[in-house]
Amino acid sequence: MVSVLKRSLAIITLLIIGYWLAQGLAGVPFGQDKMLVGHYYLDHVKEQTGAVNAVTAIVVNYRGFDTLGEVTVLFIASTGVGALLWERKKRRTAKTEGSIVLTTGTRLLVPFVMLFGAYIFIHGHLTPGGGFPGGATIATAFLLLYMAFTMYEIPHKAFEKTEGLVGMGYVIVGLIGLAIGGYFLFDWIWQTWGWGHDNIGRLFSGGFIPIIYILIGLKVGTELSGIIDNMLKEGVKE
Amino acid sequence: MNGQYASLLIALPLLGAFFVPLIKGLGKKAIKTYVLIITAIQTGIAAWVFQQVYSTGKPIIVMAGGWRPPIGINLYIGHFAALFVLIVAIASFLMAVFNFKAIDVEPIDKYAMLFLLLMLGATGMIATGDIFNLFVFMEITSITAYALTAYNKTGEAAEASLKYMILGGIGSSFFLIGVALIYGATGTLNMAQIAQLAGNIDPTVAQVGLALIVFGLAVEAELFPLNAWAPDAYQAAPHPITAMFSAFVVKAGLYAMARILYLMSSVGTWHNVLKLLVVMATLTVVVAEFSALRQRNVKRMIAYSSISQVGLIALAFALGTQAGVDAGVFQMINHAIIKALLFLGVGYVAVQLGGADIENFHGLGRKMPVTAFGITVGAMAAVGIPLFNIFWSKLRIILATVEAGYTWAAFLVLAASVVEAVYYFRLIHAIWFEGEGERISESIPLVAIVVALVILVVAIGIYPNYLWSVSQKAGSDIFNVAQYIKNVPLMGVGA
Repeated sequence: MVSVLKRSLAIITLLIIGYWLAQGLAGVPFGQDKMLVGHYYLDHVKEQTGAVNAVTAIVVNYRGFDTLGEVTVLFIASTGVGALLWERKKRRTAKTEGSIVLTTGTRLLVPFVMLFGAYIFIHGHLTPGGGFPGGATIATAFLLLYMAFTMYEIPHKAFEKTEGLVGMGYVIVGLIGLAIGGYFLFDWIWQTWGWGHDNIGRLFSGGFIPIIYILIGLKVGTELSGIIDNMLKEGVKE
Repeated sequence: MNGQYASLLIALPLLGAFFVPLIKGLGKKAIKTYVLIITAIQTGIAAWVFQQVYSTGKPIIVMAGGWRPPIGINLYIGHFAALFVLIVAIASFLMAVFNFKAIDVEPIDKYAMLFLLLMLGATGMIATGDIFNLFVFMEITSITAYALTAYNKTGEAAEASLKYMILGGIGSSFFLIGVALIYGATGTLNMAQIAQLAGNIDPTVAQVGLALIVFGLAVEAELFPLNAWAPDAYQAAPHPITAMFSAFVVKAGLYAMARILYLMSSVGTWHNVLKLLVVMATLTVVVAEFSALRQRNVKRMIAYSSISQVGLIALAFALGTQAGVDAGVFQMINHAIIKALLFLGVGYVAVQLGGADIENFHGLGRKMPVTAFGITVGAMAAVGIPLFNIFWSKLRIILATVEAGYTWAAFLVLAASVVEAVYYFRLIHAIWFEGEGERISESIPLVAIVVALVILVVAIGIYPNYLWSVSQKAGSDIFNVAQYIKNVPLMGVGA
């Protein structure tokens, strides 16, 4: 009896909140031309950033500060997993080797998966994608290796150092902007040095976007692989 | 020096955290020293920024990427942000000293990174001038906080962290939906421009969006009924982290709430949200004080006391008057000092005597006299006894509450203060008049910090005028939205 009462009370509360939220949503003029900054981006993206992919230009250049934050969030996630699953010594405990289909498939696919991941983040300023999906793709290559071979381990010490180094790389790119252009995360390659202005739409354009996306791609790839590594291994009692 | 260099406040902790993996082989002491150095440099930069802002009276607008708002993201380091970024840096520095004694659990390199990033997250939340960037920094702060809560790797810590994570996750999604609604209605994410356009938003949309944001931030700001995670997390987290939570992490959430609240003050339905917040804040104070009364663990008791004081700050911010905001800021500063002192003292006792249960505090006056003295001063100040700093801010909050017409809230808060006095005096009694004990030698740096904080508490208590004038400036930075809009060099896009 009590549970029925409780449940109906919960349902009624939910309905009220839902109605209230719907009221709010109904008042938002969706579909109307409300984008104050959107038009500005679309009109100026090529001359100001040199990227043909406007989304990337917004993510890395106009709102690059947010992206630096997002990179940090991922770094924290990986560090947090590392801190909580920490053991003095860890090793893999998987018992069954992958089937022949999986192992052969992995051997064939891993280089291509990595290549594709690298392609995605190197071409972030030209095609959809960028550092985050590219890095995630690379991490899936390592996940495949883990699934197929019971003995496989990533060189996690080197990965951890890479993670730190590329993270510092991103901040340092920003600080160079501060030194050269006077603003943190200023695109000095495009705006001060003017590199690649007659190259828009090709690989060597987009100012510092490709550099940052390569850094992000490496970072995301090593971080996600590190999380997989931490979660798959178990501590060894000495 | 150019104001844009204030962006080092963000760049330095980031760079510092990313550098830790490269020195992780050097051992515990080296890493702790490294954290100390980074926080010291951060304090130096923050002091420079503070000096700049308060001597020129003008806010520093950092434009990331050189893009003018609202095209790019700007940091707004005005009177409030300059003050609190400094407090964040100083508190982190003091806790970095405490790390040497309090942290022994491995992996210390991860701890160091998370420690620096917690400082970064709070700094960013306070300094940013863009509502989505605020969300990003809130994520940085809260995810670091989840990881640090569980850092001791005990069962309780895991439970506390999971609780915090679930509530925090729900809170963040509420916040994000609220931001989406406001973005949908205004077409901009820049806080100054939102304030400019707020009057034109459909009142229902504004009310729903604002309420979602307030609810989302209420998790971080520890307001009832969304603060169930806080006592557990405070108790389970490593001692320096608890002090940081209380000294500035919760403040960052409160500030964000107050800032967004006042930015939207031209919305027609604004007063409804304020009323809701007054009720939530008053309940926070009352419920937390009564819960504190029942605690046997001193760290947990002070955690409840911290929540109740935070409720008091939220009440001050929810009044919607200049006097209220000023008093709230004043209380924020005093509370940061007091809680840093109390959690440092209690944490140190817990480290030395193996736990923060009330039994360990019997005879503390003989065992660790300086620490005991520090805790006593902190306790008396927290109750609001004259000649200590909190007295002034509590008084001003209560006066402002009555002035704003919420006599019932002022009455409830005063009644709750009596409860607070009961459990704090019980603690003081246990420290000085119960139990026996041998003298234990106390660490010199920690004793120095305790004494410095005690002097600060008493100095502000006797001569509150300087800090009060600083609080008034910081308060009007939040309250005077027209000036805020004027200070941000908005491009004429769309508007």
